Amino acid sequence: MQTFKNANAGAIVLSLAERIIENRAYLSEIDGKIGDGDHGVNMAKGFGMAADRLKDREATLSEALDTLGTVLMTEIGGSMGPLYGVMFTEFAEKLDGVAAIDAAAYSRMLHAGLEGIQSIGSAKVGDKTLIDTLVPAIEAFDGAISSGNSFSAALDALIAAAEAGRDSTRDLVAKIGRASRLGERSLGVLDAGATSCAIILKELSLGARSRLA
Amino acid sequence: MTTRASSSRKGGANRGAAIDTSDAIPLRYGDDPYVWACWLYYEDGMTQGEIADAMGVSRATVNSYLAEAREKGIVQISLEPARLASLTIAQELKRHFGLTDCLVVPSDDNARPLIDRLGVAAAQALPKLLKSGDTLAVAWGRTVLSVGEHADIASLQDMTVVQATGGTTATFSYTPELCAAAIAQSVSARCVNITAPAIVKSSAMREMLLDEPLLQEQFETLARANRVLFGISSLRPNSTIHTSGFFESVSLQHYLAAGAVGVVAGRFIDERGRPVAGPLDDRTIGISLDMLRRIETRILVAGGFDKVPALLAALRGGYANVLITDAATGHGILRADGVTGLDGRLSQKPRVTQAPSSYRTHVKKFLNNPNQVVEEMLDGVVRAHAGYLQPINGSNRALVARNGPRPGKVGLVIGGGTGHEPCFLGYVGKGLADAVAVGNIFSSPPPDPIVQCAAAASGGEGVLFVYGNYAGDVMNFEMAAEIAEEKGIKVRTVLTTDDIASSPVEDREGRRGVAGNFFIFKIAGAACDRGLPLEACEAVTRKANLRTYTVGVALEPCSMPQTRRHNFEIGPDDMEIGMGIHGEPGVTRERIKSSDEITDSIMDNIFKEMKAASGDRVAVLINSFGGTPMMELYILFRRVAQRLEAKNIRIEANWIGHYCTSLDMVGASISILHLDQELTELLHHPCETAFLRIS
Repeated sequence: MQTFKNANAGAIVLSLAERIIENRAYLSEIDGKIGDGDHGVNMAKGFGMAADRLKDREATLSEALDTLGTVLMTEIGGSMGPLYGVMFTEFAEKLDGVAAIDAAAYSRMLHAGLEGIQSIGSAKVGDKTLIDTLVPAIEAFDGAISSGNSFSAALDALIAAAEAGRDSTRDLVAKIGRASRLGERSLGVLDAGATSCAIILKELSLGARSRLA
Repeated sequence: MTTRASSSRKGGANRGAAIDTSDAIPLRYGDDPYVWACWLYYEDGMTQGEIADAMGVSRATVNSYLAEAREKGIVQISLEPARLASLTIAQELKRHFGLTDCLVVPSDDNARPLIDRLGVAAAQALPKLLKSGDTLAVAWGRTVLSVGEHADIASLQDMTVVQATGGTTATFSYTPELCAAAIAQSVSARCVNITAPAIVKSSAMREMLLDEPLLQEQFETLARANRVLFGISSLRPNSTIHTSGFFESVSLQHYLAAGAVGVVAGRFIDERGRPVAGPLDDRTIGISLDMLRRIETRILVAGGFDKVPALLAALRGGYANVLITDAATGHGILRADGVTGLDGRLSQKPRVTQAPSSYRTHVKKFLNNPNQVVEEMLDGVVRAHAGYLQPINGSNRALVARNGPRPGKVGLVIGGGTGHEPCFLGYVGKGLADAVAVGNIFSSPPPDPIVQCAAAASGGEGVLFVYGNYAGDVMNFEMAAEIAEEKGIKVRTVLTTDDIASSPVEDREGRRGVAGNFFIFKIAGAACDRGLPLEACEAVTRKANLRTYTVGVALEPCSMPQTRRHNFEIGPDDMEIGMGIHGEPGVTRERIKSSDEITDSIMDNIFKEMKAASGDRVAVLINSFGGTPMMELYILFRRVAQRLEAKNIRIEANWIGHYCTSLDMVGASISILHLDQELTELLHHPCETAFLRIS
């Protein structure tokens, strides 16, 4: 059975931060079409602060996720700070103390993150939010595992579903948050939260996949 | 390349008349008025008015001919390829590294040394980057000295230039002292030198020197710097860092072995921009990398292919937010960082400008850096209202009332996103809110500043949180309340829900908090100031919230500083009744009506919920969303007063003006507080804040 080590996998969070910082301008640009235009700046700020705290530390994945979650939750504000903050701290809690992370633990982690978000937010699939990325990604992962695929193949399925989920927001009308004000005008534009969520899930899963043994 | 002839054309009208009278004029281009108008405008240099006369059409028609000609591609505006390339690279650098500004000098045939060209470019950029009253830190290097030699800016006043590092041997011409002096002279600044060597023999010597009052004073000036100008040195064998003899070669080997790729203001960084530790660190006197990164405007001037790795490292490390370089270097940096697709764009044909000149895509605003609007506003706020509030622990994101909190008094903490000024910070002061937590535009503050506010406001009797009912605010304030409770501060919360248009009366708790905040804060502040216990303060604040009714009407949308575009649209003849203060949907969108009809429809809604009897008393707030002038607010008030009078409801007090805005939204809201004896007394309780004073 494929697993990856929690120890020293904190570097995954650093590369996660790198991807978010790289995409700062892009995320702000798509957010600007139907939102405030500050998603990239705020995300890059939070992930950058977490990366600064993790630099030169040989953290476990759960420790690094906890640092990231705490920074987002306590220092970013708005809605995205608490939402992603709770997701990452839930991720961290589920992996805490797990030495070798297998597909079942990874799935528990994903579900805990989703439940955390749903406990404070009210978005459903189809509302044009990050939920449209997260939910199908988790379903694809669980589905791949239950039909007998390897951890590695399930991670690929997760990434593909996350990106398809992100792309699905292009054809959705925003139902929640500030973009909902635009109604039909939000059609044809990606949701910034769904896009950043796809970046996060992809990088996290690529990091996990490359460490599988 | 098409140019708009700049020479003034004499006798345009005569020539126009000649055109009208004869088919022999070859410039008619058949019957195509677009081509004709374009020719007259771009080639003949006629004004639009002259062309209108010449063509016998209106000026507006000429304007539309010209605009459409550009859309149709009849006129193509092109830029010289070399300049376009440098512009493309500059934009890509700016985007890729999140820079505030980027200037890229076009590559030329190297007729002039690169250092001269960069110096000239930076000299031209400086007037835009510097402002009177700035403190500019200056590091040393050949390029920095070149900037000083080429700049001559007479428009700046009260400037201070401070040397960013200690001094060096004068075996070369670009010493730290000379660089600072040259820049100081070019911007007419007072020059503060660091009168110690840049590198001393031992860390003990460094400690001793830094202990000297004179050096402390110089470092205080350095710590005040809000701009910094610096170059970068690569660690290649021929770089200035070697030739200047600034560092001993022994130490350099250490840093090279540890992965250093560049030197910024005497400090070594690796390829990801991280500081590289080494033996010189505690022997170096000068600005630290952390200090550098905290400076608001960080101008890096450098070019040359050997500097690409060092520049990339500096950009990755966030040491610069303004970059001045040349096209070849800029292109190299982007390629080194894996940016693809740029070459394709550079070889493309010059793009045709599509937008007609009269078409507006952006709203005008007073802005410097759109990402800094909140910080800049807060800097203004604490300077303007220092008599009422002050930062907590040096951060403007958490402000506490002067003479507000006191032992034995319940503390009142308010807060929310910005863009609603004077909400919320205008209501902080003695007798009203004790502290305010400040978020980004239309975005809740995170828990940390809220907790700071709670601690600062606490007088040992608990703290009351009062804020608008929005998902983000609730999440962050609830977390803050938990943290404060863990610190032993008792917290009670009242969510304001006065916007009666946001949700039906059955879902009263789901409503949003809007301008009625003003009344609810006032009552809460008075209750706290009277020394009521926490539970009583909470109860009366809840009562005030239940008895406050607000309806807003938006006529035009607001626009965000970061996008300078409208946040949503309202049709040219429409208005939206019930719109929230961030542009949330209202009850109805309909054609705009007369002011009295609008007021009546709002008041009908309020009367439906407010069970006021003849002889009751109310307080009235007519609030502008930001873009509606006082004149119209008084017209609204007039009708509100008439309606209340007809029901024999007495206006105990009224306020008219900007009390809870939505950036530049055009529109207004009407809030009514249905008073009882207790609320009346609390309403009249004295308070002293920037935007509400009752004595």
